[in-house]
Amino acid sequence: MARKTPVLKVTNLTKAFGPVVIVDGFNLEVAAGEAVALTGRNGAGKSTVLRCIVGSERPDDGTIEVNGTTVSETNPQIRRDVATVIDDLDFFPDLSVVEHLDLLARAHGIRDADDAVDEVLHEVQLVPQSGQLPGTLSSGQRRRLALATAFIRPRKLLILDEPEQRLDTEGVEWLADRLVAERQRGLAIVMASHDPTLVDRVATRIVRLGDRAEVLADE
Amino acid sequence: MSKKSRKLIRATPAVENAAAEVTPEAMQPAPERTFFFLPDVEPVEVDERELHDEMKLWRHGRATRTIGQLLADSYVMLFSVVVIGAMVVSVVLRAQAGMTGCNTEACASGRLLLPSAMVLACYALALGMAALFGPVLASAAEGSWLMDAPISRRRLLRGRLVVPLVGSFGVATVFTALVGALSGLSWLQVVAWSAAAGLGSSALVALAASEQPLERTRILKTLQVIFASAALILLLVVIGVAAGWLPVSVVAVAGGATWLLAGLAVVALVALVVLLRVTLSRLESIRRARLLSGGSLVSGMQGAMFALDFGLIRDILVERRMIAKGHVKPTRGRGLGLMALVWRDVERLRRSPSAFLGLAASLFVPYAADALRMVQLNPVISGLALVAGLVPFLGSLRVLTRTGGLARSFPFKTAQLRTAAMAVPAGLALLWGLAASPAFIGIARSGADRSVLDGLSAALVTAIAGLLGAVRWVTAKKVDFQTPMMATESGAMPPTLLFNLFRGFDMVALITAPLILGFPAYWSLVIATVVFVALRGSFNAEDLRAEQEAAKRELAASKKAATDRQKIPRPTR
Repeated sequence: MARKTPVLKVTNLTKAFGPVVIVDGFNLEVAAGEAVALTGRNGAGKSTVLRCIVGSERPDDGTIEVNGTTVSETNPQIRRDVATVIDDLDFFPDLSVVEHLDLLARAHGIRDADDAVDEVLHEVQLVPQSGQLPGTLSSGQRRRLALATAFIRPRKLLILDEPEQRLDTEGVEWLADRLVAERQRGLAIVMASHDPTLVDRVATRIVRLGDRAEVLADE
Repeated sequence: MSKKSRKLIRATPAVENAAAEVTPEAMQPAPERTFFFLPDVEPVEVDERELHDEMKLWRHGRATRTIGQLLADSYVMLFSVVVIGAMVVSVVLRAQAGMTGCNTEACASGRLLLPSAMVLACYALALGMAALFGPVLASAAEGSWLMDAPISRRRLLRGRLVVPLVGSFGVATVFTALVGALSGLSWLQVVAWSAAAGLGSSALVALAASEQPLERTRILKTLQVIFASAALILLLVVIGVAAGWLPVSVVAVAGGATWLLAGLAVVALVALVVLLRVTLSRLESIRRARLLSGGSLVSGMQGAMFALDFGLIRDILVERRMIAKGHVKPTRGRGLGLMALVWRDVERLRRSPSAFLGLAASLFVPYAADALRMVQLNPVISGLALVAGLVPFLGSLRVLTRTGGLARSFPFKTAQLRTAAMAVPAGLALLWGLAASPAFIGIARSGADRSVLDGLSAALVTAIAGLLGAVRWVTAKKVDFQTPMMATESGAMPPTLLFNLFRGFDMVALITAPLILGFPAYWSLVIATVVFVALRGSFNAEDLRAEQEAAKRELAASKKAATDRQKIPRPTR
């Protein structure tokens, strides 16, 4: 059977912080309907790979393409296609939970923004907090809001960095179901996770990043 | 890990240079542990003073330099401060001597009203700062380690009142004395006004401290509004008299005012003593959370101050205010695409009407500058005031630029996002320019004398300069401590640290420079256009770098391909 055209193609990705090489010649292809879980111990380079994929970190070498377009954090096409939940997500301090979702939905051109917001808000169980400002949310609720911002908008690739963090057991269960449904609808997913339940249920492929970080000898 | 996961891992083809062998760890024998339990005796009573002294000792033990070494390292800076301070004092003394002899209406009104406005502004500032920080506060470490212990909070915290009381007294006294001397008050009057400002500010800080354990803020807020409004009214009267709108007779009561201010100082002193006693009696019941919130604010601000990141300081304050607010009545958005972003900013205007106070206050500045005959410098002074007035309206631009995460969620170019976030502030700046144009055309008898067109151009340039200065202020990047450092007398310093001091001001100075130098306004508009294009992120350095690197890679690949093609095998005979 012919392999599907990859939504994400990472070729020879290399990233070092000073003399410490975190990712060395990493390759990955993810097709639509595939979910890849990056696993590995702390410091193995999972988050670095994801940050390079979303463009917030510049790789030292290698190429990253999403649907054939080279990744750049500011490229509007990439911004349109890639939904991300990684740690650098910030919120407007003066907009409520529901207003964040409404703004994102409208910015992405969703005409029935009210219905979409209502649905996602129910799904992430933030209806009672809909008028709350982000600064007053608990860390778990903030994570739910971050996930909601990824689900409220159109997307072809979903990048998640330890999405289970700070979620309760029920929340992890819900997230696993949601990601399976996303995958079955043809979305490509790349996530880093330490949660066996999530990896077990969602991933179609597991990539274990090993102890590649090595310190090069000083000249 | 479940069976499925293990199966998946085994079935996964090894990723080139990414997967590593998992080596099973050898079973380690369980280490032998011992546990310590406190002896079953009553602990001795703690002396808070001793505890405090011990903490001080630990802190001294962690110091890496003595005060002598510190002074020796920064002698150039200290010498500069002494020289500049001496120059300032000399200038103030000469100005005081000169202003005492001035008998014009503007001088007469300014002499009484400006120091009085300063006294009231000091009161409002003291109340605001005291309510913001506590004024009694404790660090997170103290909250964790000391507040749990069975110690007297009153005895531990009473020393904390010294810094806010002395600080408020010092700041209010110095600034009021400076304004009083520059306005031409006699030295006796300067002492009366300064004492009233200093003692009154300390008394108000003591009032805030006495209310802190009860967690009441209504009285403080009411007093703050009254003092701030009164200060603003006095400034308006100064402008009115200087512009000839009000008769000078309204301020011809300077003699009696001296005794009034001296009496106020005495009353403030008595109030300070009484309120301190009340505060000390209430300190025992102060809540830990109330103490720690001020402490965390101070530590956050200290961190931001070390990087001279005033934007971060503002972020901390905004975040704090929003947490205190907690909840809003959600409103439905309008429009699609970029329009949705613009509409949210319009909604924000309705939600935060207090931001208009600052903008309205900045509108007085061009009129005051014109009334005080500072015609040439009016654009730059008013532009700076407008920067301060517009920053609260650029909240969405600030959030969209400080981290990449949120901006990445929107399907627009950086330049589009920034332009949309500037739209509402730009409209406000335009309205400000129209409202300020009479000041640039000329309102006072001795002020500007421009044609209507020139006045409107100057007002427009000032408004644009203020807007772009504010945009520059909120979009400036954090100091990068990973860049090569600059060697200074005070140690290594990243070059961008110093630029942080001038951000915003640089754009205002650049855009208004042609007006100040007497060139036509269109020069300013040309400069403003270039600044706008740069600030909206059209020349995104990272994008350009990425494009350059991609081009380099392509060139290298094509070269390599060409070299490979040229390898023609030797023909064999």
